[in-house]
Amino acid sequence: MLQSTVAGLTSGGAYALLGVCAVLMYRMVGVVHFAQAAVATFGTLVAAELFHDGMAIAPAAAIGVAIGAGLSLLLGAVMAIWFAQAPIEVRSTVAIAMLLGLLTVGSRLFGGSPREMPDPYPGAAFRIGDAVVTTSALVVIAFTVALAAGVGLLLARTRFGVLVRAQSERPVTAELLGIRVRALSVAVWTGVGAAATFGVFVVAPTRPSDVTSLSLLILPGLAAALIGLFRHVWVALAGGLAIGLAEGLLTHFGSVSAYRQVIPFAVVLVVLLWSQRREVWDVAR
Amino acid sequence: MSRADRRTALTALAAVAAVAAVALMPLVVDDYWTYLATSALILGLVAASIGVVTGRAGMLSLCQLSFAAVGAYGVAWCQAHAPGLPFVVKALAGTLLAVPVGVLVGLPALRLRGVNLAIVTLTFAVAVAAVLADQGFPGANSGTIVERPGFAETDPAYFRFVWVAFVIVALLLAWAGRRRLGAAWLAVRQSERATAALGLSVVRIKLGAFAVAAAVAGLAGALSAGQTGVLTAATFSPLASLSVFALAIFIGAQYPVGAVAAGALVAFFPEILRRLGLPQDLGDVLFALGAIQALSMGASVVGRARSALAARAASREAPAPAAPPPAPARAPDRRRPSGAPVLEVDGLTVRFGAVVALDGASLTVPEATVCGLIGPNGAGKSTMIDAVSGFTPYAGSVRLDGRAVDALPAHRRARAGLRRTFQHDRTIAALRVGEYARLAAPAGTAERDIAEALAFLGCPAPEVPLERVDVGARRLVELAAALCGRPRVVLVDEPAAGLAEAESRDLAERLAAIPERFGAAALVVDHDMELVQRACAHVTVLDFGRVIGEGSPAEVLSTPDVVAAYLGEAVPA
Repeated sequence: MLQSTVAGLTSGGAYALLGVCAVLMYRMVGVVHFAQAAVATFGTLVAAELFHDGMAIAPAAAIGVAIGAGLSLLLGAVMAIWFAQAPIEVRSTVAIAMLLGLLTVGSRLFGGSPREMPDPYPGAAFRIGDAVVTTSALVVIAFTVALAAGVGLLLARTRFGVLVRAQSERPVTAELLGIRVRALSVAVWTGVGAAATFGVFVVAPTRPSDVTSLSLLILPGLAAALIGLFRHVWVALAGGLAIGLAEGLLTHFGSVSAYRQVIPFAVVLVVLLWSQRREVWDVAR
Repeated sequence: MSRADRRTALTALAAVAAVAAVALMPLVVDDYWTYLATSALILGLVAASIGVVTGRAGMLSLCQLSFAAVGAYGVAWCQAHAPGLPFVVKALAGTLLAVPVGVLVGLPALRLRGVNLAIVTLTFAVAVAAVLADQGFPGANSGTIVERPGFAETDPAYFRFVWVAFVIVALLLAWAGRRRLGAAWLAVRQSERATAALGLSVVRIKLGAFAVAAAVAGLAGALSAGQTGVLTAATFSPLASLSVFALAIFIGAQYPVGAVAAGALVAFFPEILRRLGLPQDLGDVLFALGAIQALSMGASVVGRARSALAARAASREAPAPAAPPPAPARAPDRRRPSGAPVLEVDGLTVRFGAVVALDGASLTVPEATVCGLIGPNGAGKSTMIDAVSGFTPYAGSVRLDGRAVDALPAHRRARAGLRRTFQHDRTIAALRVGEYARLAAPAGTAERDIAEALAFLGCPAPEVPLERVDVGARRLVELAAALCGRPRVVLVDEPAAGLAEAESRDLAERLAAIPERFGAAALVVDHDMELVQRACAHVTVLDFGRVIGEGSPAEVLSTPDVVAAYLGEAVPA
């Protein structure tokens, strides 16, 4: 039981990373980014393609991450140009449309069937009794922790961080102060896109690796972000790991393991009902 | 014949013409296209259900095909366990089965913004797909085929059957859309606060929209079960839900024409692409781009066409002149005011984090009296209104007619007779002036009473769309609507903001006449001292969340403390 639970740590790492990315996007550029994992999937599958064509894994991964970042930059530019002043519902609906577009284009480009993925970090990192903690799990979790801590420091300590906070809290005021709001938000899109691509690339070998399955990794990611109420990066991180572990635990019981995709829904339902138990209004006044 | 009646008649006529055309259609095209046309109608129903929940009520729902799957599941279950039932009964069972599921999924949406609901519904869609992939539909393994009704066994006959169902649903939705229910959906989309202030339960409206949408989608699933006979999970995939969602946004599925068009696009577009030798999934990409384009324009294709038509019609008609405000009718006193307090606020304290916005403030509004609440910016006036009307948590007590209302949510307070208006315009732009006022009025209020309340405040005519009314006049419409709710006391937050000086003077007269005309008391917040002096019999002054003065306007305005609060220092008289 411990064995299969710990096996969920790799997925949990990916959920945690995508959850952290979702919180960052929500807080810094005001969008629930439904297409985050889809963007990362593009970069990941390009990297896999290059690897199968004989490229070494490191440069292939680097190009894949660059593709993910570049695609994210494009989407960020669309958002910054046409939806800069739009409310978050509209921006998120745009992200949903982007998800649909990317899913379709992705299936056409890469085919709908799963493919073999290169494993950048094969093998076991260490064991807890019988349970194996894979190197991929360790890498993606360490990366997520570093990302959360790094962004925290960046926002708190650097001039760039102050500018990002200004544009996220008061975009119009920031623009009037001469801050290049659009460029900043596109920079955030690009950076988060690169981070998410790296995470999906690392865990892809352990997942069904077709476009749709990888793109829908965003759902447990968003569930994790909701656990952090789209505010607390570290809670989201823990939430993602918890969802992964719960999934792992469920695979131990063979009869219900087909239902692990129900977990995000259950988590979302419970978190929302609990966190919104008090009356909340749509606007402050 | 009123405009609404004429529209209903026109819609009905169009429907009849469409039914006739459709009855003849299978004579012209072959079975394959008839089959696709049936799919188009079924998907049109799914689009219409998105039109209700997203297009009208403003909640993002990405799982309508999962509700359809529930409907289909119901039919398949009936087929497997009670094959003798008529198909119509099975279809209704499937439709009804989708309703509790829709309510369950909608539950977390009650207090949520649309975005979180999108997360709930998409995770639900994936969960349903996973369960269906594992379990399959009832009877699918044993090869049970869902039988069509005896009178609609052929493809053309089944097409006509589905068409009739579609027309009935479209007419029902159009009918509901013009009634309170539809107006309430639009209200909740624009502002939950405003909806609650109208005395409507936001929770019930949202759940209702979700239930109606789930039923319509469930019916679509049930009809699809009859169409295909054998059900597969792939038909109801999350991707398909996303695709219809994008199209519903793009085309505008809250309008029947938009729903038909969206359904037709989903059904026919891949076929057309195939005949052109293009990849069939190009459709989804175009739908996604179309949705993004519609979002950037702020309106769907049908929505834009309708506003263009409306603008043309409006330019042809002579611009409706704002009715010259008639002098307030001097109705006889309905009731001798006894002077008993109608609103008692006692020791109200509101904290926002470390900031104390209200610090034990108390005031009393006697029956059928206009009172003023004044104070410099940031004194806590609007916070007082928010707290008393139930929009902000507070410590202390609020009594209406001697009964504590502290436990009541905002909409229940409004219904109990404690109405309010907002400092910023919160009228529902998608409604006409009269529709908006009717939404605030108790059910069964006579048309004449509403028209009189609107005329009393010099509002535009009831059939004028609110989006064409200027902000100053909208504030008056909002106040008139609050008065239509037959309040015991109405809290009026800066009614004169956005009015010219002469209008403001006129408004003061009308405010002063509220007790006589409507038998209600009023608590007016405004910075316009002339208005306060003219309208109010009694004034309370707030500063830094505390009451610093009270009395008749003349008295209060000459108190040194009050002058100092406004001007920062005592000034020589």
